[in-house]
Amino acid sequence: MAVNSDIIITVENLVKRYNGHNAVDGVSFEINRGEIFGLLGPNGAGKSTIISILCCLLEPNLGSVIIDGYDIQKNANNIKKIIGVVPQEISLYHTLTARENLAFYGKIYGLSGRVLKTRIEALLDMAGLTDRADDLLEGYSGGMKRRINIAVALLHEPRILYLDEPTTGVDPQSRRRIYDTIQDLNRQGMTVLLTTHQMEDAEKLCHRIAIMDKGKLIALDTQKGLIELVGESDLIHVLAPEILPGPVESIKRMPGVQKVSLDEGNMTVQLVRGRESLVGIIDILTSSGTQVESIYIKEPDLETLFLHLTGTSLRG
Amino acid sequence: MKFHIIAAKDLKVVLRDQNALLMMFLVPMLIISVSGLALGGNFEQNIRISVLVVDLDNDEVSRGLVEFLEEIDILDVDMESNEFAARDRVKEQEYGRLIIIPVGFTEYVMTGQDTELLIIVSPTEESSNTVLEKIVEGYASRISTNVVVVKTASAYGIPAHTEEQILEIVDTAEQFVQPPPVDVVIESTTSNRVEYSAFTQYVPGFAVMFLMFTTVQIGSISLIKEHEAGTLRRLVTAPISKAEIIGGKIASTFIRGFVQLTVLMYFGHVVFDLDLGSDILALFVLIAAVTMASTGLGVLVAVMVKTTDQADSLSLLLVMIMSAVGGSWWPLSVEPQFMQDMAHFTITAWAMDGFYDLLYFDLGLAGILEEVKWLVLMMIIFFGIAIRRFKFE
Repeated sequence: MAVNSDIIITVENLVKRYNGHNAVDGVSFEINRGEIFGLLGPNGAGKSTIISILCCLLEPNLGSVIIDGYDIQKNANNIKKIIGVVPQEISLYHTLTARENLAFYGKIYGLSGRVLKTRIEALLDMAGLTDRADDLLEGYSGGMKRRINIAVALLHEPRILYLDEPTTGVDPQSRRRIYDTIQDLNRQGMTVLLTTHQMEDAEKLCHRIAIMDKGKLIALDTQKGLIELVGESDLIHVLAPEILPGPVESIKRMPGVQKVSLDEGNMTVQLVRGRESLVGIIDILTSSGTQVESIYIKEPDLETLFLHLTGTSLRG
Repeated sequence: MKFHIIAAKDLKVVLRDQNALLMMFLVPMLIISVSGLALGGNFEQNIRISVLVVDLDNDEVSRGLVEFLEEIDILDVDMESNEFAARDRVKEQEYGRLIIIPVGFTEYVMTGQDTELLIIVSPTEESSNTVLEKIVEGYASRISTNVVVVKTASAYGIPAHTEEQILEIVDTAEQFVQPPPVDVVIESTTSNRVEYSAFTQYVPGFAVMFLMFTTVQIGSISLIKEHEAGTLRRLVTAPISKAEIIGGKIASTFIRGFVQLTVLMYFGHVVFDLDLGSDILALFVLIAAVTMASTGLGVLVAVMVKTTDQADSLSLLLVMIMSAVGGSWWPLSVEPQFMQDMAHFTITAWAMDGFYDLLYFDLGLAGILEEVKWLVLMMIIFFGIAIRRFKFE
């Protein structure tokens, strides 16, 4: 895939405050035209707030956002015509059919007549729901609704597509289909910005990934570039009903261990040469009476990076 | 402008909702029918006033008063010769009202002397008592003219001791007042009206109450559902103004309410022969004003709460209170004065006043301007507050 070097979105020193707390705290980044750009971070990191600002739903307290030459604070209406938004929730009318939902939103975007009809048929085909087009949405599965949720955002053929947690609550088959759809749209030249707390989404889809935590952007690069930041570290995940502080402290003192995070019965250990230390960790846990349910080792990935940067697990 | 797209979508959603349609049309029709048929008798009895009369004078003027009372349609006049027995019958609540005409009443009137008519009333039927007092006061005022004429003649030394002399003076005085120097024309507003029935109360009463369910309850829930489902947020990210979005929601609620109220009034007309008045334009103006005011209240409820459950509870409370206080369930006139005053802070009271003006008094458009003015003012206040507080995020 060829990424155009033109910049389509510029975010500079963005700040959004809620009740004296900075939900977004001085975030800056640029998105290239034709790129799939991911905002990765745990819930509450500020990703959805950034999307809301980029959709012209929220006004920032500080900073600027330029989208395809338009300033969000001065040209919101022009921006709304060139963006498509796929919200996290299924924002559709469940007592209307898929075709009626598409027709309603199409009219809102100013489409009518033959153009609207053609777009609806094309998007139903893309979603694989042509044969169910006249069924009420309330009879659809979650995955089918999510496909229509995406189709609605594409009615007016936007230049930029925002997807807010597009695979939340989706079965593996529908997830695969959503990935294919996003990649197809990108191949046709559409710029995609997606927020996710699922590492798999970012790894499978994004050309570049911005990692966010507590309102701040803490890393931005390609997946390869980000993982290189971690160095030779591995991750060992341990699952047990209860892990006492004693063995955790012992593990922290082991050679090569960089960070240990504990979330109830979930322990994640970041360390160099993980395979060599695995037996030692098992020994410490079993000798302290910890009932280990599972233990596995992972090569460095985005989750390793997140733990490396923040000291906490991405899923936490 | 794209607000009609949102309005059309909302109407399509409602037309698919069989429960909503039942609540809008079938349920109110059933309640109007049951209430009107079951309680119709009460209404007819309420406008009959029974009165017991003791004529201790039994002379020309007193007999004239009795005949006058007997000619009035709404009065059922019974005679009793014994004053003490008559008082007992009132005490025992056999009669609510007793008129005692004193001995010498005719003579006093004819000779220009002061006299009095005694009315004894039961305190439990205040509105009927007031009506009777007005009737008797009206007659007393007429015969008082005789007393004034005779007294005036005496003051100027004109003898008026015999009945012939008095009648001669009164006749002479009457010549000067025929036609009267100041002519007061009283036009009966109910001269062309049908009989007042339970349906005059219950058709608009329950129609307005169920309109409130549509506009306040379902209207506010519809707005909050758009919030909860994220569809409002999605609409705001589209190239459509916030005014068009809210305008579309208001338009769909207004259309639903307007159609509902019109259909229910027409139902009353066709099924129960309810007279809708001679000015149909005025009826539509009133229906529109009531619907707009209650639509405004629905939007206000939507901005005051956060969830559909809260909207449901608050709307139900408001509709029930407004219906009870405002005169949906019984005529406003049966409420004490302070309640009637309080009631006019509600949409229902102004709506019911307006419907009475059109359906019972047939006052036309000019007669409902006051009600329409207050309903429009309420609408402006409700929308004004609601739109300032409305959050699209």
